[in-house]
Amino acid sequence: MKGFFGDFGGMFVPETLVPALEQLEREFNMLKDDPEFKKDLARYSTTYIGRPSPVYYASRMSEEYGVEIYLKREDLNHTGSHKINNTIAQALLTRYMGKKRIIAETGAGQHGVATATVAALFGLDCTVYMGAVDAARQKPNVDRMKLLGAKLELVHDGSKTLKDATNAAMRDWVKNVEDTHYIIGSVIGPHPFPEMVAHFQSVIGREARASFKEMGFLPDAVVACVGGGSNAIGIFKGFLDTSCELYGIEAGGLSDNEGDHAMAIGKGRAGILHGCVTYLVQTADGQVADVHSIAAGLDYPGIGPEHSYLHGTGRVTYDKVRDEDAVFAFRELARREGIVPAVESSHAIAYVLKNKDKFKGRKVLINLSGRGDKDSERDI
Amino acid sequence: MRGIYIVGNYPDRESFVKCFDAVISAGYEFVEIGVPFSEPVADGPVIASAVQEALGSGVKAGDVLAGLKTLSKGKAKLYVMTYANIIYNYGIKKFSDDFKDVLSGLIIPDVPNMLHSYFYDQGFEIPLIPFVTPESREEDIKKAAVMQGDFIYFIGIRGITGGSVDLSSPEISERIQQIKAFTDKKIVMGFGIKDKTDADKALKVADGFVVGTAAVKLQKNSAEYSEFVKSLL
Ligand SMILES: Cc1ncc(COP(=O)(O)O)c(C=O)c1O
Repeated sequence: MKGFFGDFGGMFVPETLVPALEQLEREFNMLKDDPEFKKDLARYSTTYIGRPSPVYYASRMSEEYGVEIYLKREDLNHTGSHKINNTIAQALLTRYMGKKRIIAETGAGQHGVATATVAALFGLDCTVYMGAVDAARQKPNVDRMKLLGAKLELVHDGSKTLKDATNAAMRDWVKNVEDTHYIIGSVIGPHPFPEMVAHFQSVIGREARASFKEMGFLPDAVVACVGGGSNAIGIFKGFLDTSCELYGIEAGGLSDNEGDHAMAIGKGRAGILHGCVTYLVQTADGQVADVHSIAAGLDYPGIGPEHSYLHGTGRVTYDKVRDEDAVFAFRELARREGIVPAVESSHAIAYVLKNKDKFKGRKVLINLSGRGDKDSERDI
Repeated sequence: MRGIYIVGNYPDRESFVKCFDAVISAGYEFVEIGVPFSEPVADGPVIASAVQEALGSGVKAGDVLAGLKTLSKGKAKLYVMTYANIIYNYGIKKFSDDFKDVLSGLIIPDVPNMLHSYFYDQGFEIPLIPFVTPESREEDIKKAAVMQGDFIYFIGIRGITGGSVDLSSPEISERIQQIKAFTDKKIVMGFGIKDKTDADKALKVADGFVVGTAAVKLQKNSAEYSEFVKSLL
């Protein structure tokens, strides 16, 4: 069936949105290989985002932990994370589709900032939905979005986090679909979003692969944190056809108890949320459960459907890291390498540090999906 | 086909049953039971907060569903309105087996017409009600016209439940004429009908209506509720 990855995916949305999603699918399929579009995107990638981002060998960490640690530096992108790769591309698409307004949901605020940024860049009207709890813990990004001219709508429903912001953005889209494009910020949502966002994020993996090619070897393992899973899919796409081990790290939060974590694969089961069949943290009764992560960008009960599929095939191993281990890694990278990582990305780093025996003497590539300026004001 | 949407077991089982009975004795042709889901993305603030409140006070989707079999529905038809995950979680085939004798159809706002086959392919035998919206293209309407379900759910407004609908707008009657050209199915207007005047107007252009938000607002007060549902007919 169209838009499925095995048993996962689909287009589970109100009927009103179907024409818009079909238009998006058509335009995306047409434009993704269109020379003009590709040239535009490449130009913005180099001159605006600052791509390609380097792969950095973290020698002090490597020595300390006995693992060869390489970092893909998405934290060096304009606006501070991988989210900009996707928003620039979707904003260009919006322009090609002739729509004037964009909306977005945001958890950590990185996707909101990236969307507000491209709205300013292309002169589009922009509204960003953010849970009230997330807005309080990611204040620097709230201020940035306002500075960039976006309208910020705080969401007070439910757990006041990313899933509630997503509900609010979906409602807005249903009402305003004629002139509005919804820039979903991860490989989640209805078809074609999971496939499209993965395509726009695959630049991470392609560049990383090229960097390793220059070095003359491949990593033994690639590790990325997983919220919706866009930075993870982005880097995995460069290595799926190799023998590299791939690891997606979910937010283990405080404990395995319901409400204490955000492990869609680790503790969830298949369900339908925000447009697709995928693994979902839910109650026995089929309600979406409360989730928790110290990282606002990982605090989401679902995961992209392609990850659910990759889990089933066994190509990618999904595992967890607790809040406290992520905080340890956050500080550790700052002190040993002079790099403050996003607390989201710190989950991927922590996984390697915690499992240093497993990775001993091996080459491990970690996707540093973003920088931690937004987190360094927090008491973590 | 006149109908009322009721949030199942809200505010509690007893009040819900009173409201349900009021709708039946008023003489409606159908009732839509809303089975609460935590992420009601197609619902406006009134229904969304009723659902949140119900879930917060311990209402279980499973109990609402189990209770369907014990409702005395008289001559009215019973439909369930809920979100896809509730059915998926129950088990698609199992839901169908358990409720095909009770329900005349299912309305799932996050399952678009083109994905009905996802359910039927897994052995679902209860008809899914197709939607036509202001965005539907002619080819969508033609497809909806021949789908399963004993009516077409016509959403008169862009947006979510609880908005207001301009029932005198030519766009609406044109749309309905357009649907009628392709089908003998009844066309039921949903979303935005709040009083007798609206209901009468809806019946002029369509074959039926369903009232949600305006009734849900009164669901905590079964006496007022009962008056309200009578007043619409
Ligand atoms: C820096 C950073 N990394 C990772 C994520 C998680 O998103 P995804 O899993 O889609 O990459 C976010 C989300 O806000 C983020 O800001």
